[in-house]
Amino acid sequence: MVIAALASFGILIVAWILAPDEGSRRPQASTVPTREPVPATT
Amino acid sequence: MPQIDTGDTAWLLMSTALVMLMTPGLALFYGGLVRRKNVLSTIMHSFFILGLVSVTWVLWGYTLAFGPDTGLGLIGGLDWLALEGVTGEPSDTYATTIPHLLFMAFQMMFAIITPALISGAFAERKRFKAFVLFAVAWSTLVYAPIAHWVWSPDGWLFTLGVLDFAGGTVVHLSSGIAALVAALFIGRRSGLIEPATEPHDVPMTVLGAGLLWFGWFGFNAGSALGANGLAATAFVTTNTAAAMAAITWVTISWLHRGTPSVLGAAIGAVAGLVAITPAAGFVTPAASVLIGLGVGVVCYGAAQLRLRSRVDDALDVFAVHGVGGAFGALATGVLATSAVNAAGFDGLLNGNPGQVVVQAVGVVAVGLYSATATGAILFVVNLVTPIRVAGDVEETGLDLAQHGEVAYQS
Repeated sequence: MVIAALASFGILIVAWILAPDEGSRRPQASTVPTREPVPATT
Repeated sequence: MPQIDTGDTAWLLMSTALVMLMTPGLALFYGGLVRRKNVLSTIMHSFFILGLVSVTWVLWGYTLAFGPDTGLGLIGGLDWLALEGVTGEPSDTYATTIPHLLFMAFQMMFAIITPALISGAFAERKRFKAFVLFAVAWSTLVYAPIAHWVWSPDGWLFTLGVLDFAGGTVVHLSSGIAALVAALFIGRRSGLIEPATEPHDVPMTVLGAGLLWFGWFGFNAGSALGANGLAATAFVTTNTAAAMAAITWVTISWLHRGTPSVLGAAIGAVAGLVAITPAAGFVTPAASVLIGLGVGVVCYGAAQLRLRSRVDDALDVFAVHGVGGAFGALATGVLATSAVNAAGFDGLLNGNPGQVVVQAVGVVAVGLYSATATGAILFVVNLVTPIRVAGDVEETGLDLAQHGEVAYQS
């Protein structure tokens, strides 16, 4: 059972490494509302 | 033979739940501080870690941190891998009046929030995949050993006599130093006007700070590991230091910038909570007033220095948790009294100047190890997958680019 539990997490780690990231579905910048930065208050 | 005490068990069950709530609270605290295009990614860093470290802690984290020592006081063995042998009966070593599984779960919540704290340093430009791999490695290779050093009865810093009631060094100093290293490694955010932060939702941050303050009663008073007078002491010192630091921070910012900052009240309270963490069960309520005052001044100064530096520790994790954690650890060496806790030691003001030296050794050891190991982990993760997102992704915002979602439709 311990081996199976460790293996199941190992499968997830491999999946995370292989998973796509923003390179495969990069959005258009124009779809995102933006605001100008302002100075911090702290 | 250890016996379960129902009162102690009830309080630790409650405390564990309180500390769990701190991580979603941290998500809101950090989420309000970033720009609106990055709020979901910032919240996700904390929320995903709640799941991630819950599993790694059960599988191997707990045994590395609290398992029987392997001989040098550096790391626990694999005796309790996947919680084999950790049951509903009390441990012979830890919290002998509550179920061993409950002690494990209480410590799990500390292990969860610590890497989540670091996420504030590289907010708004960290690739999620790299963050996940970093969090697994950091909680295994940095948090677990340091927890063993300080809290295992065979840990080398515990044996040396370092006092850390609830994690000033284990949680806050380690994560604060790691945050500084991470900020240096990943570099500054692009496209920001100096100084480089824009809190997009201050009420969200204040709500997060309130949840953190609430949960911190479990964090510190729960660390008494029983429903007793020591828990009451830690409860009162925790609230007092947070309150004093909040009003101190507001007062300084009022004098410095001309307005009493709401955001300053929230951040000041967190700084006070950080500083009282190592001291909560070793000092008097009067001493906690001084700790709150001192950390309010010191951390405000650290945050101002950071703004003037080239280091883009986006959410001031080092200034609050690194500096606040070190301050609290050293203040414990000055103000501790065995009249509050017979299991502790007297500090400088109670005739034991050597305790300050011991605390300083703990601060330096934890700081150096966290800095070195964090740098090595970041280097390796960056070889596997780039840690920083591309420039156009950073400009678009991580919510849409990394998670395919946006927080606000207009």
